[in-house]
Amino acid sequence: MRILLIEDDAEAAAFAAKGLREAGHVVDHALDGEAGHKMASAGDYDAYVVDRMLPKLDGLALLSRRREEGDETPALFLSALGEVDDRVSGLKAGGDDYLVKPYAFQELLARVEALGRRGAAPASADVTTRYQVGDLEIDLITRTVRRASKKIDLQPREFRLLEYLMRHARQVVTRTMLLENVWEYHFDPQTNVIDVHISRLRSKIDKGFDKALLKTVRGAGYTISDID
Amino acid sequence: MLRLFRTTSFRFTLVFVLLFTLAVGVLGAVVYRASFGAAARQTDQTIDGELAVLADLFAESGAGMLTRVIRQRTAWRDDSIYMLIGAPSGAVLAGNLTALPPEALNTEGGFFDFAFERPILDAAGREIGIEQRNARGKVMRFRSAPDAEQSFLVVVARDIAARDDLRASLVNVLVRMLAATVALGVIIGILFSRSLLSQVEAVSRTARAIRGGDLTRRIPRTGAGDELDHLSGNLNAMLDQIERLMTGMRDISDNIAHDLRSPLTRIRNRLTDAMKGDADDKEDALRATLDDTERMLVTFNALLSIARIRSGESAGVMAPIDLVAIAEEMAELYEPAAQDAGFELVLTTAPTPPVNGSRELVSQAIANFLDNALKYAEGGTRIELKVARGARGKAELSVSDDGPGVDADDRARILERYVRLETSRTTQGSGLGLSLVAAIAQAHGAKITLQDANPSAKDAARRGLRITMIFPSADRK
Repeated sequence: MRILLIEDDAEAAAFAAKGLREAGHVVDHALDGEAGHKMASAGDYDAYVVDRMLPKLDGLALLSRRREEGDETPALFLSALGEVDDRVSGLKAGGDDYLVKPYAFQELLARVEALGRRGAAPASADVTTRYQVGDLEIDLITRTVRRASKKIDLQPREFRLLEYLMRHARQVVTRTMLLENVWEYHFDPQTNVIDVHISRLRSKIDKGFDKALLKTVRGAGYTISDID
Repeated sequence: MLRLFRTTSFRFTLVFVLLFTLAVGVLGAVVYRASFGAAARQTDQTIDGELAVLADLFAESGAGMLTRVIRQRTAWRDDSIYMLIGAPSGAVLAGNLTALPPEALNTEGGFFDFAFERPILDAAGREIGIEQRNARGKVMRFRSAPDAEQSFLVVVARDIAARDDLRASLVNVLVRMLAATVALGVIIGILFSRSLLSQVEAVSRTARAIRGGDLTRRIPRTGAGDELDHLSGNLNAMLDQIERLMTGMRDISDNIAHDLRSPLTRIRNRLTDAMKGDADDKEDALRATLDDTERMLVTFNALLSIARIRSGESAGVMAPIDLVAIAEEMAELYEPAAQDAGFELVLTTAPTPPVNGSRELVSQAIANFLDNALKYAEGGTRIELKVARGARGKAELSVSDDGPGVDADDRARILERYVRLETSRTTQGSGLGLSLVAAIAQAHGAKITLQDANPSAKDAARRGLRITMIFPSADRK
């Protein structure tokens, strides 16, 4: 992925850029809002990572301007402001995701990659109703899950959990992403509630099959993948 | 005093006094006209009446008779009426005026006011002085026939001393009345503005004290329930909010200093040691440092959240929420984790009135209660999440466990920031969970209570803890 990182804190930016490059992405870095806007106009990126508070042109204004100019590149806001209102104003300005500083790098990576997937899919593909990973299939219309043609019964929440994982197949999905997208909570419980839900889901979809599809990524989260 | 004259209320009073004085003045003028004017008219009527009688007499009996009658009428001393008849030559024929008043010659046929001097006589008839009298009279020229050459001047006048006295006393009363009105108005005005000013001054004094750094000062309430009292109340509420904000800010810096200094020191010491050690030591130090920074981030975020909630920033996202639905979702989220930890998570709900709040914050509070129950209810087997209608129809949300519970003495303390009871030191946690809950409760105007879940339990280790959040009714405030 080609990623444009617009962040005025040079050290934080260097750290994030290094990590993203190690994960195989191409990263350009702008130090202020105006420079970021220019680079975004000139270049062809798969995702923007934008700090909310930037010199010269703040993040919200920058993204609003990009959207006005018809630039639909998915964007993730980085912000020290974490309350729900801030999140809402970020999303209203055209942001696709929101990450509160300080964040774990794995969280940033997972979210940026999730964004890239969204951007890569053309608008018409949004109506995808079936996903498949290996021999595991999920059908969003009939709300059925099959593995090796065998039907698996899931609770409604387990279904949503699997749906989210399948939509982001072969990508790392963090616990926070699951909590935000499957349960719609924006806080982190101290108890690892997600892990237990995952292990229940795993026991339903992986138990009794040779190959485990739902994998734990140490220090980051989970991924559903048929590649070892 | 100078300030007093500049106040709005005093100016208002001044205008009021002016208008009031004007009204009293108009009233006085009316009274003056009614009483003094009537007296003056009566004088003129009497004079006209006398003149008419004298004219008839002259017409019937001639000048000689008229002179005789006038002489008789004025023979005894009468202070109230003066008459005089003058011959065509100008000589006084009869009357009790010493001479024809000079004004009479100019105002023939009309009324005129005049003054004259007359001797003061004692009881024996001796002259002992001269007095001046004021009178109002009318002069008429009598002719025996319209074309007669001879004419007589007849003057009839009344003493107007009494009338003047009446006027003087009337004016006197009116002036006093006006003076009293003005004086009373000014006094009332000063008192009124002073009381108003003292309240405003109380506000200014408080503002000065606060500017001077004393944020605890509040405007004293008069309890009168008037606009100024309401204003004071609102300003006080605003000051409460500002103080909360300031305290929040101060707390957060204190807490950051307190909570992040020790791990930072630890990290520095560990890294210093590792520099001297071998590769394995370095690896260990890095790992431990990473763990420390993770924990610091958790603490830091919790502190920020508490400060933000406390400052009332979340008030913007308050909306009617359904506690039952929220509890159901949270129970669903926690059920597997509870089961894993060996607890049965029981959800009990009853329909409750909607409360004003934030789904996110209330969910977070429940998450904290459940986290705590899972962590501290050692040896327990059952956690109950309950939404019920409490006293006076208020919605209550509670989480009960059957663990060891909390001693009565410690209950109030655990809602404070950083308090972790000694017995739980070994368990991990930032110690901020319940402080966060307390902040959430405050943002919702809710009350937190702690009690034994099973006060009758025989085994002291099973008496459990029930933590309850009591919401205010949504329709109020």
